[in-house]
Amino acid sequence: MTTATAARVELKIPSRPEFISVARLAVAAVANRMGFDFDDIEDLKVATGEALANAIQHAQLSGRESDEYIVVVCALEAQALVIEVRDSGAGFDPERRRQELEEKEELGEGGMGLLLIEALMDEVDFKTKPGKGTSVRMTKRLSGS
Amino acid sequence: MDKRADAEMSSRQVDERTAVLHIGGEVDLYNTPQLKEEIVNLIDGGVRRLVVDLSDARYLDSTALGVLIGGLKRLRERNGELRLASPQPRILKVLEITRLLKVFEVCDSVQQALVGWDAQGASGR
Repeated sequence: MTTATAARVELKIPSRPEFISVARLAVAAVANRMGFDFDDIEDLKVATGEALANAIQHAQLSGRESDEYIVVVCALEAQALVIEVRDSGAGFDPERRRQELEEKEELGEGGMGLLLIEALMDEVDFKTKPGKGTSVRMTKRLSGS
Repeated sequence: MDKRADAEMSSRQVDERTAVLHIGGEVDLYNTPQLKEEIVNLIDGGVRRLVVDLSDARYLDSTALGVLIGGLKRLRERNGELRLASPQPRILKVLEITRLLKVFEVCDSVQQALVGWDAQGASGR
């Protein structure tokens, strides 16, 4: 699918763990339609799952799990899939988090999730402010592009 | 949506202190409580040598990995050990990225994982 006009697929899911697999499957279906290979689709599923798990855990920590929603936006560009996961949770300082991870020999769950996202995607951009929620924008380019 | 059909977990006791926990399917934040319960129940029941059979596990997220690390720590506190057996290449990749290949002993098969516990100190003391 190499149309010049970018398409968008948006999914709004309750901030609850049972919906993570729904979003993973939706992203996999979009990536498959775009022509990503099996390994890249698996990478996208893992990264999406980790971004959602982070968002839901933040909502759980703030006690707002049940009434929050998370928005997953897939932007189908000519040679890349850009996935944005937006929540309205507590937010965090990504640079401080990264420094903490580098100093730690053993990673916690959240640390492992961020590490996986950064290792599996071609570009990752976190936008977060304490109290203002978090947006994770993850780009995976089609192989050979 | 209260069915946890994405993952399948079952355990079998090899001897009084040794068990194999088979994980199939996809384990994420939704079903990690079930994974934790399985591991805690085995340890509370006296298991000190636990092989986690990943041959049918297609997906483990970081929360599932966190539960496995918790199980390993719990067992080591009791002179026990936890080993991972036959992970698929996708799971191996995740273990490598998260640096957990340095933490877990990973074996090619359950049979191989069940060999040599005593030399590793998990002798059931």
